[in-house]
Amino acid sequence: MKLTKQILVTGSVVVGLYAAPALAAAEEHGAANPFAGDLGNAIWTLVIFGIVLLVLGKFLWKPVLNGLQSREEFIAKSLRDADAANKKAEQVLAEYQAQLDKARADATAIVEEGRRDAEAVKRTIQDEARQEAEAMITRAKREIGVARDTALNELYTVGAKLATDVAGKIISRELKPADHERLIQESIAELGRTDVSTN
Amino acid sequence: MSLMLASSNPLTHVVQHPWYTVELGGDSLFFSKFTVLSNQIAMMLLAALILVLFVVRAGKKRRGRDGIDALVPVGFANFVELVCEYFRDQVARPTLGAHTDRFIKYIWTVFFFIFTCNLMGLMPFDAAAYLVMGMPEHPVHLGGTATANIWVTATLAVCTMAMMIVNGLRIGGTAYLAHFCPGPLYMAPLLVPVEILGTGAKIFALAVRLFANMMAGHILLAVLLSFTLSAFALGYATGVGVTIPVVLGSVAINFLELFVAALQAFIFAFLTTLFIAMSVNVHHHDDHGDHRADEPALGAEMDLDEAAHAH
Repeated sequence: MKLTKQILVTGSVVVGLYAAPALAAAEEHGAANPFAGDLGNAIWTLVIFGIVLLVLGKFLWKPVLNGLQSREEFIAKSLRDADAANKKAEQVLAEYQAQLDKARADATAIVEEGRRDAEAVKRTIQDEARQEAEAMITRAKREIGVARDTALNELYTVGAKLATDVAGKIISRELKPADHERLIQESIAELGRTDVSTN
Repeated sequence: MSLMLASSNPLTHVVQHPWYTVELGGDSLFFSKFTVLSNQIAMMLLAALILVLFVVRAGKKRRGRDGIDALVPVGFANFVELVCEYFRDQVARPTLGAHTDRFIKYIWTVFFFIFTCNLMGLMPFDAAAYLVMGMPEHPVHLGGTATANIWVTATLAVCTMAMMIVNGLRIGGTAYLAHFCPGPLYMAPLLVPVEILGTGAKIFALAVRLFANMMAGHILLAVLLSFTLSAFALGYATGVGVTIPVVLGSVAINFLELFVAALQAFIFAFLTTLFIAMSVNVHHHDDHGDHRADEPALGAEMDLDEAAHAH
């Protein structure tokens, strides 16, 4: 308490000596009132604030607000576009996936069909080859048979003629051509019978 | 500095110092004189000039004119846009909703005007001038905080009230009038005066909050600095011993004042937004409880009030 008083007193003295003019000026306006002011302040405030409001509103806030709004729209549009692009991409991806699946299924089907066809062709070729082989064998047998018959006939004819000639010479008797022919035919017939019986 | 110390009454450094006054006569406390010019009015004019000449030009600078460049702010415009966007998206939109862009210009102006006035109040114009030119025989108070004047803050608060009432009637119409009687009709004689008083109290609190906060910090600084003079009177060593912590403390409090300058400007603009929103977004409700439930921001207002009073 004593110190405070001391400080206040000495402070006042020093202040008084140090800046008497200022103190005088302050006292000129009376004691300091924290609510100092009057209608002048209010009117000034109204006028200055009004002017600031008008000028800032027209020249600063308008472009700033426009900027904020257009940026907001820009961002919203970008997000919408991105969303749409994403959806489209997903849709396209799904389409491609479906196409891919279909292509894979088609490919499998084609390979399967090819395998089936190849099997069929293989079987056909084998069957044909077998049939052809059988046909060739049959034909060959038939031709062999014919050739054998022809050879046998030839053999009989030549054998009979030789036998007849030999027999004619042996018995020195001239046969008439009609007898000759008849003897040949008989011999053949006999030989034939003999061949059948021996075969 | 010497001027700051020139009086034993710390209030001297904070109150208005008229440069030219017209005496109106009469013994009314408020209307006996008319201040034509004073240090605070000059500072308010300076703040307005800074806003109109500098902020308007710097605030709308963009990287380019077309395309995306026209949306990108440059330099100081970043700060302006940061504040503007914050107020628009975080303060105004949740409360004003569809009316946001209708009132946002007013809200931005309130913030920037008060913020600039508050900052101007922190500039030691006269002390700096005397430091350079020497102490004149009749010192003139040059600097001053316009928002440490209750007439200034009250005028700004009245502007907010005008915005509330005019737009409440214009947009809310009869719903706004009905909002003055939130209960059953037979309660009107009790409720209407209470609601009217409530509106008045909001405006009063708005004015006093800004005024008191701006004045208190400056008084604190003046008191702190006055200690040095008293200490030097006790001896050189005591003077130095006291001056060092006082100067450090003053620097710290100046930083705090910077924060308070922004905070109080924000609170004023924030509450202005809330009050306008409450007038504009009135709905017919039979039950007042529903009405309150529609306004979650009211809780925020109370928090802010507490924060403001804590200073």
